[in-house]
Amino acid sequence: MKFQIEDVTVYFPYDHIYPEQYAYMVELKRALDARGHCLLEMPTGTGKTIALLSLITSYTLSKPNNPVKLIYCTRTVHEMEKTLAELKLLHAYQTTHIGDRARILAVGLSSRKNLCVNSRVLAAENRDSVDASCRRLTASWVRAAAVANPNLPTCEFFEEYEKAGSNAVLPPGVYTLQDLRAYGKEKGWCPYFLARHMVQFANVVVYSYQYLLDPKVAGYISKEMQKESVVVFDEAHNIDNVCIEALSVSVRRQTLEGARRNLNKMRQEIEKFKATDAGRLRAEYNRLVEGLAQRGNLPFTDNWLSNPALPDDILKEAVPGNIRRAEHFLHVLRRLVQYLEGRLETDNVEKEGPVGFVASINTHAGIDQKTLKFCYDRLHSLMLTLEITDTDEFLHIQTICDFATLVGTYTRGFSVIIEPFDERMPHIPDPVLQLSCHDASLAIKPVFDRFQSVVITSGTLSPIDLYPRLLNFHPVVSRSFTMSLTRDCICPMVLTRGSDQLPVSTKFDMRSDLGVVRNYGRLLLEMASVVPDGIVCFFVSYSYMDGIVNSWNENGILKEIMQHKLVFIETQDVVETTLALDNYRKACDCGRGAIFFSVARGKVAEGIDFDRHYGRLVIMFGVPFQYTLSKILLARLEYLRDTFQIKEGDFLTFDALRQAAQCVGRVIRSKADYGMMIFADKRYSRHDKRSKLPGWILSHLRDAHLNLSTDMALHIAREFLRKMAQPYDKAGSSGRKTLLSQEDVEKMGDGILNEMQY
Amino acid sequence: MASGHVIKRAKYKTSPKGAGTPGVLKMTENKIMFKPNDPTSASKIDVEFRLIKGYKNTKEGSNNPPLLNLSLEQGGSYIFEFENFLDLQVCREFVGNALTKSGDAAKAKSGDTAKAKSGEAVRATSDRSTVTYPDEQLISSAEMELRIKLLRENSELQNLHKKFVLGNILTESEFWATRKKLLDGDSGTKSKQRVGFKSSMILDIKPMTDGRTNKVTFNLTPEIKYQIFALKPAVHRAFLNHVPNKMTEKDFWTKYFRAEYLHSTKNAVAAAAEAAEDEELAIFLKDDDILANAARQKIRRVDPTLDMEADQGDDYMHLPDHGIFRDGSKEITDSQHEQFKRTFLQDLNRQGEVVLEGRTIDVELEDPRTVAEALAQSRQESDENAKQERLDRISRMTEMEDLQAPHDHPLAPLCIKDPRDYFDSQQLKTSDDTRAGSEQLRCSLSSEEAYGSLRGSISEIKAMGLSDPVVRPEVAVMVLNGLTQNISSTKFQLGKNAQEGILNSLPNTTKEELLHHWISIQELLRHFWSSYPITTSYLYAKVSRVKDAMSKIYPQLEEIKESVPSDLRQQVFLLVRPMHQALDAAFQHYEADLQKRSAKSGDKPNGYV
Repeated sequence: MKFQIEDVTVYFPYDHIYPEQYAYMVELKRALDARGHCLLEMPTGTGKTIALLSLITSYTLSKPNNPVKLIYCTRTVHEMEKTLAELKLLHAYQTTHIGDRARILAVGLSSRKNLCVNSRVLAAENRDSVDASCRRLTASWVRAAAVANPNLPTCEFFEEYEKAGSNAVLPPGVYTLQDLRAYGKEKGWCPYFLARHMVQFANVVVYSYQYLLDPKVAGYISKEMQKESVVVFDEAHNIDNVCIEALSVSVRRQTLEGARRNLNKMRQEIEKFKATDAGRLRAEYNRLVEGLAQRGNLPFTDNWLSNPALPDDILKEAVPGNIRRAEHFLHVLRRLVQYLEGRLETDNVEKEGPVGFVASINTHAGIDQKTLKFCYDRLHSLMLTLEITDTDEFLHIQTICDFATLVGTYTRGFSVIIEPFDERMPHIPDPVLQLSCHDASLAIKPVFDRFQSVVITSGTLSPIDLYPRLLNFHPVVSRSFTMSLTRDCICPMVLTRGSDQLPVSTKFDMRSDLGVVRNYGRLLLEMASVVPDGIVCFFVSYSYMDGIVNSWNENGILKEIMQHKLVFIETQDVVETTLALDNYRKACDCGRGAIFFSVARGKVAEGIDFDRHYGRLVIMFGVPFQYTLSKILLARLEYLRDTFQIKEGDFLTFDALRQAAQCVGRVIRSKADYGMMIFADKRYSRHDKRSKLPGWILSHLRDAHLNLSTDMALHIAREFLRKMAQPYDKAGSSGRKTLLSQEDVEKMGDGILNEMQY
Repeated sequence: MASGHVIKRAKYKTSPKGAGTPGVLKMTENKIMFKPNDPTSASKIDVEFRLIKGYKNTKEGSNNPPLLNLSLEQGGSYIFEFENFLDLQVCREFVGNALTKSGDAAKAKSGDTAKAKSGEAVRATSDRSTVTYPDEQLISSAEMELRIKLLRENSELQNLHKKFVLGNILTESEFWATRKKLLDGDSGTKSKQRVGFKSSMILDIKPMTDGRTNKVTFNLTPEIKYQIFALKPAVHRAFLNHVPNKMTEKDFWTKYFRAEYLHSTKNAVAAAAEAAEDEELAIFLKDDDILANAARQKIRRVDPTLDMEADQGDDYMHLPDHGIFRDGSKEITDSQHEQFKRTFLQDLNRQGEVVLEGRTIDVELEDPRTVAEALAQSRQESDENAKQERLDRISRMTEMEDLQAPHDHPLAPLCIKDPRDYFDSQQLKTSDDTRAGSEQLRCSLSSEEAYGSLRGSISEIKAMGLSDPVVRPEVAVMVLNGLTQNISSTKFQLGKNAQEGILNSLPNTTKEELLHHWISIQELLRHFWSSYPITTSYLYAKVSRVKDAMSKIYPQLEEIKESVPSDLRQQVFLLVRPMHQALDAAFQHYEADLQKRSAKSGDKPNGYV
């Protein structure tokens, strides 16, 4: 369908549109007009992604004079694939209706691991070794040597790509990672470097959060994005955590041991070079005197993770004199490693600010703050000079320099915490020194500064006023949309008591109570016998899940459950979890029915949809609070209280409830879909907890469903499923339209808007 | 029946227990001969097959020797004992074939007469028709046997068959043509459905303790062994490699459960220590490398919308030591003895996978060795991928179903082989419609009339008043009483038991008669309607035959209605009415078609029927 929003003609690939999608587009359009940032909360299952994509592409089409580039950030690769698939659909629609004018180039970008087509490189186990084996074949000096000696292996795909030179371009179209690989194979060009190159010219780029947020990655991938871009962070409810992680480093014993090995290796290399090619080291020295000249004009294949500190914080000055010589620099690093080793030998938990820590390094190891700050760049330069391609072997020393640079750069928003052992396992000594970032706004600040519009959107951004404070920005539009339902297709319930009427909870003092474990088991068992197809269960942690599954096994409940449905479980092994999910879907597809056990805050909760028959019921066992005794969390809470006046309790509840909402929100995909959500913990019945849930869940949570026991919940579930099985009118009844045709949209205009907001 | 005769060594016996006379059994297409080895013996046999009524034989695996018992039509039987079951099998098949053949021959005779008679009937109604039947001789003897078996098993079917086929209303092939499914379905049940795995199989293997010592006993059935092989390819491989060359099967399983025990104690250190001492035990304790490889294979084919492995490849946060290491949300793992720490959760996932794959082999589970080998073979076979299907699934998943107009349902293409047929049948339909229209018209007319008469009577009453009772009071009371009594009695009868239908309240004979008629009518109607539109003269003949048979049933139904006691008549009427209606509809259609046909044949002198 095609309709007007103010001066923009929007091309939408479906015959109908939800009113909230329309409202969402209007708000987004206003934010784009105002060239400001915005914050939009819209329930899952209302088609955010397609609304967003069609508005932004249509916006560009309507204003051909200043085209906006769309940078779409997803949390995971599979979300990236989904987004690109939707974009494909949209693109096909727009090109058939507008013609060639609507043609765009959209690429997904991922790491070498996901894009490489060279079978020799792909044989490597993980991302780092793929990166390293790629470098071994494509680094500039390797290729230079290969010219002289044809026996040296190179990558034929990269060579072909280089040969094609400026002809190596992608024709317009939408390319998923799969498509890129296929195209690369067909042409014989390296898809990774091709995609990296095309990112500059593409109208839509879809990639992971970190490509913008993590300075190490953003430094070399997102450098050249123009200001007139719209940056979208989808599913952004966790964005503060991503920002924090991007600037945190931890150092363990293994790291330090590895770093020592790396340093020895480098010393040997330096000795070797001194004997054979002393000129090279001298050249490097001279270059460093002039400043970090090599930045910017590095060969495409040689750069790796860049400086962990943010661009503004890297001073534009020369590397300090005391580390310009390679062997001097190694001495500095050696002293630093020694100092850190000493700090790890502690029996008590220690907490320090970065300033104090730097001062202490200065007094004990004689390394000043400025030297620390330049560690990462200096290491980078040295590794290039030494022509090291096995970057995966040198990760440890990189970590140390990463740490040094961060601690030398920032004076606030961080703390250094040394723990001799994990509190939950005090008998196992495992000392760790962590530099943890508390301020999410640090990492995201350059994004807000650099780009014209940043859109932060998710199904759960409640309370919506907290995010501007956490991320320290000023949105021009900040809205939360309701969900207009044709029928009550979601059924949230709060279960406080088990079948024996005793309260259930995962509170610390209750969680190992056998009665609670049994009640939870009976709940699942009863539900499994009533609910068709797929059921998803979320637990508060892996260890809790492991424990409860084992005790269900011991008392026979698990066996009874398995008589109704197959059981699949998320484990810490990603490969296994992926396969388990695949099998879970198969079991739902074939009608066998299955249950998936998963962990809130786990990988599955983060981005896997359990829509339609893949999830008719979600049970959230307990409230997924963070581990509150964690030193890092305590430090962060303290920082939040001091800087933003956010109370500890409020933040913890907010964090737990957004996770819970995120978990249960995965069951709904469209209004034709339906699903139930059970919050199984007595604490959900308290107002202060419950009220933190997003509005679209709260509005369906009836008062009668706030304090249920297993048998009552079972009754409600039966009734609900019976009701959902009835035919219904998709367009909505009793005056309230929930599905708009083109005609409706033209007629109603702005009237929808007011209705859709809270 | 490929070979014309069978010769086997056998013993002739008069009773199953007797010693018997050894000799040679020879069977040709229509004869059985037995020559004893001792020419002086009196037990020489020479019988024709048509004298033999049936046969029985002993089953393989039972304790009895391989015996074949041929029973004679006149009573009495011959019993032969064979040297082995293979011989018995061969002879049994031969006898079976020969018997059906002789049965066929008898049937063929009656079939011929049927043909002749129905041919006459056709000629009576339409002189021009030349009757062609579908070839009846194509039926294989196996199918014949199946038909006979079906008839024997199902008395209802037998009745129908007797009534219609032997009563020359339907031919044999027509009768069976509508029961194709029965014949197919029966052959379908022969290959019995495979039973899948139980979803709780790993929980089923529980040891038994004797309560006093620390010894535990496992009862391993072949089924359990098979399950273990399916669940754990490494155990399976070890079994193929080690049993029986290196260790006995019992040792193997003892070791296996020892390893399982070590797992269950969750003591990774102890497991590691034991594994270091005993390399065979280590096989069970280590991670399954076959599974790991298979997982790597499968992960490439997984749906990209749930491929979390790709994330890990993209995720720069999870570089070692980058990001927050210990904030309480991440879990701690003990990496040292990782390989000896297979968890229960992993087992559950594996089990789900195996259950979904289902049983891949189809052999007797007696010998674990053969099971293991068969399983190894099936593993190699099942390795296909469906990339395209996966991509299709993604594009289907991305669409939002309710924003879209529903997808078009696939339509069967219209295929008109003979345009005349098609238009004939279409015309028939339209003529039906117009007739219905005219009927409606008549209806409205009659309602006008009714209105008129009602008006008339009202004005009459107005004029004369209601002083004169329409009926005499005593008659009215009598009628009322009679009716209410009847109503109350039926009410009483019906209300007694909700489950009990009207049928059960009828006398048994009436009930059976009704049911029988109902079934016959159904059968006839099925044939009747399936032969429309009439395109060949053969169908024409058939329709008239069927119609005649139906018109015979009609008065019989009336008779039933009359014969039941008055208080049940209402219900019987209710039961019979739909039958009548169905028959009426058929007759009406027949008449209409006939009329049209005759009208048309007037137009077309060259005669198309």
